[in-house]
Amino acid sequence: MPEKKYSGAKVPITPPEQWVEQYGDYLYGFAMSRLRNPESAQDCVQDTLLAGIKALDRFDGSRDIKFWLRGIMRNKIVDQIRRSIKENKVDIEAEDEALLESFWFKYSGIATTNPDPWQFNPRKYYDNTEFWKVFETCIDEVKEPARQAFILRVLEDQTTDEVCKVLDITPNYLWVLLHRARQQLKVSLEARWKDSI
Amino acid sequence: MFTCKQVSKALHKEDYAEMSTLRRCFLKLHVHLCVFCGKFNTQVIDSQDMCRCYKDKEAHDAVERPKLNPSQKEALKELISEQAE
Repeated sequence: MPEKKYSGAKVPITPPEQWVEQYGDYLYGFAMSRLRNPESAQDCVQDTLLAGIKALDRFDGSRDIKFWLRGIMRNKIVDQIRRSIKENKVDIEAEDEALLESFWFKYSGIATTNPDPWQFNPRKYYDNTEFWKVFETCIDEVKEPARQAFILRVLEDQTTDEVCKVLDITPNYLWVLLHRARQQLKVSLEARWKDSI
Repeated sequence: MFTCKQVSKALHKEDYAEMSTLRRCFLKLHVHLCVFCGKFNTQVIDSQDMCRCYKDKEAHDAVERPKLNPSQKEALKELISEQAE
């Protein structure tokens, strides 16, 4: 099927009938990495493609449609996480509350002056595809709700205020959740990557 | 010059790579020299670097991921062609 030029677009774009074949796997992979659930991921792809068709007139062609669809998917992922939060409200744990009340946190905004150093230099492996596979597995191992906070804030680039609203938590507690997520990610990466090198 | 709390708060609110050059320089200088928050915030910066790199790789399909199976694809195609008409 030839590429058409839709109203509003400056460049020819792939017609929606070809989106599943061309971008389906890409979008599904993204959704799986964020939501971990095949059904939710498929729903997310479906919602994204349908929203894309509706909004196609507003696509200005300034970037690849693949990245435009990915931008739409960002909102769908946030919606899915918001729905799951409604079912399982985020409660602050006693250990986290103690950290927030600690002198060091109040004084300097950090958890400790002496975190354990990395057991290897991760930068060395940034060009290694296998490293990022392990990295994704390690993100999956981060416990909820720290994982959801990490995905929304760090991977989906939502602002602190937006994440606090979605998770219904305070900015300070979000700080604790992100700290826990980074800690767990580091511990998992050290354990798993050390085994694979 | 920043205080430890300001540095930690800034790193919590935004990726240091997206800060203005001057702000980024002062922040990195503080983190480099500070005996109190230096080690902690260095790890926060390292984590931001790592995640930025990961996002770049995944945006360009450089991370191996699960794919849609043929029946899922067919169902989606059917739905899309209905909507696209």
